[in-house]
Amino acid sequence: MSEYAFRKIDIDAPRGPAGALSDAKAKSGEVRGLVSKGDIAGALNLILTDPPYGDGVDEAKNLTSSAVLLILNSTRTAEIPNHLKNLDPEQQDHLMAYLYKAMGTEGHGGDVSGSVLLTWHEKLTEVAGVGCIVRVMTDRRTL
Amino acid sequence: MSAPEVHQLSLGPLTGVAFSPDRSQVAVSPNNNEAQIYSKTGDTWELKQTLAEHDKLITAISWAPQTNRIVTCSQDRNAYVWTPTESGWKPALVLLRINRAATCVKWSPNEDKFAVGSGARTIAVCSFDEENNWWVSKHVKKPLRSTVLSIDWHPNNVLLAAGAADAKAYVFSAFIKGIDAKPEPTVWGDRLPFGTICGEFSTPNGGWVHDVAFSPSGDVLAYVGHDSSVSIVYPSGPGSPPTAHISIRCPALPYLSLTFTSESQLIAAGHDCQPVVFTGSSAGWAHSYSLDDPSSGGSKGLTPTATGSRVPSGGPGRLNNEAFNLFRQADSKGVSSRSNSVSAPSSAGMAAVGQDGQLLTVHQNSITFIEPYEWNSSGEVTKVTTAGKDGRLVIWSVAGGKPGGLSGRMGGLHV
Repeated sequence: MSEYAFRKIDIDAPRGPAGALSDAKAKSGEVRGLVSKGDIAGALNLILTDPPYGDGVDEAKNLTSSAVLLILNSTRTAEIPNHLKNLDPEQQDHLMAYLYKAMGTEGHGGDVSGSVLLTWHEKLTEVAGVGCIVRVMTDRRTL
Repeated sequence: MSAPEVHQLSLGPLTGVAFSPDRSQVAVSPNNNEAQIYSKTGDTWELKQTLAEHDKLITAISWAPQTNRIVTCSQDRNAYVWTPTESGWKPALVLLRINRAATCVKWSPNEDKFAVGSGARTIAVCSFDEENNWWVSKHVKKPLRSTVLSIDWHPNNVLLAAGAADAKAYVFSAFIKGIDAKPEPTVWGDRLPFGTICGEFSTPNGGWVHDVAFSPSGDVLAYVGHDSSVSIVYPSGPGSPPTAHISIRCPALPYLSLTFTSESQLIAAGHDCQPVVFTGSSAGWAHSYSLDDPSSGGSKGLTPTATGSRVPSGGPGRLNNEAFNLFRQADSKGVSSRSNSVSAPSSAGMAAVGQDGQLLTVHQNSITFIEPYEWNSSGEVTKVTTAGKDGRLVIWSVAGGKPGGLSGRMGGLHV
């Protein structure tokens, strides 16, 4: 059965929880720097590429989520569509997942307002279509 | 290329559709425990016979093109094989040995076997037992972790593809000793005892697999998932990863059914109510065009008038004036401006709805079934048929591999 050994590899966590956490810390630090310089596109691109995904990396997920929220809060409404168009489909799916996650935690001490999330959600649906929403709802692995 | 033929066979959903070999008859189930056989007279379908043997909803029907037999399967966990006699169709019970509903059924290409997928996490591969004069089944159980939603046969009569609710598409061997000769080696494998797993593929975002299909040669597998994705796999050989595994993330709602029309073209249809053509090769696949694009404004005039509520034609009375209608629309449907009378989809992947509340597509609800209907002399599919939850059966022309649909759509345009 050696040919099935590859099935045992957890492809969602190639570096393990510790690696994911240090990655997330480095990334959210970098995002803070990019946002303060006003480079929203670069920050979005960085945080939405290979985000922590799957089981056992909750701390890394929370760090990444708050980094995403920081970006969402510091973007001007008029610029949103352009930033979204520059993301690839996979990044768009990830962003939609973060939007839904933030909506779920809204009112539990979250630091983001509903209107910001809804604006991003509207613009993202216009660019990526309802298929993007369906993918987030279907996926049982969470970001 | 001509306008699609639309037939309204039921007011409710059609749950199983199968055409007779000569396309003069069709077996459908109107979402209940009966299968109805319609016969074509001129342009209309006439109910000829009702096959009532199942106790619960019929989930799928398959009609063997050469041996002219029908197999039906149902939520009552049974399947019947119907053979034509002079006094009508005669049922024979199949020993499926499953403890959950049967979900899908399909005759093998040689028509000596059929496979039934079920909610019992099994596929029953059924063959005829001459000694006892009944149909017996062998089960494929091993890696299946959830309900089997769809199956498709490889042209070599041995390999079987299955799509399941555990978000995987599988390829199995359904080799049955005494019926199948030893198959020629294919890209999927060379030694194939019953139950061998030749492939196991996931959807990109973990959506359950609604439908699977082999290409005409059997060397390519495609499947659609509930995460709005279409995936195409090119296997390289037993034990090695596939040469290409292409996943397309679609902007529209998920597809429920798909079929290949040639090695480089497939048609998928589903919750966005229109059949969509994808073309490509092992280098990459892409969305090509829609057979029924509402934004090109053609198909609305094709919907049959016999069914459903139509726009009230401006009868007498002062309550029918323009201003009144404007406010009534705003009140009942939330339509605030008249400028969107033929509302183009406001964002990617949304179905367009006309002012009368009907969709601008031919199908008025999800398409659950798509299959080739007619082939040309060189073996390419020229027509496909779809059926859906709106009870409509539609036959579409497909231009062979080229996006030549425009002239056809213009032909159907009512100016």
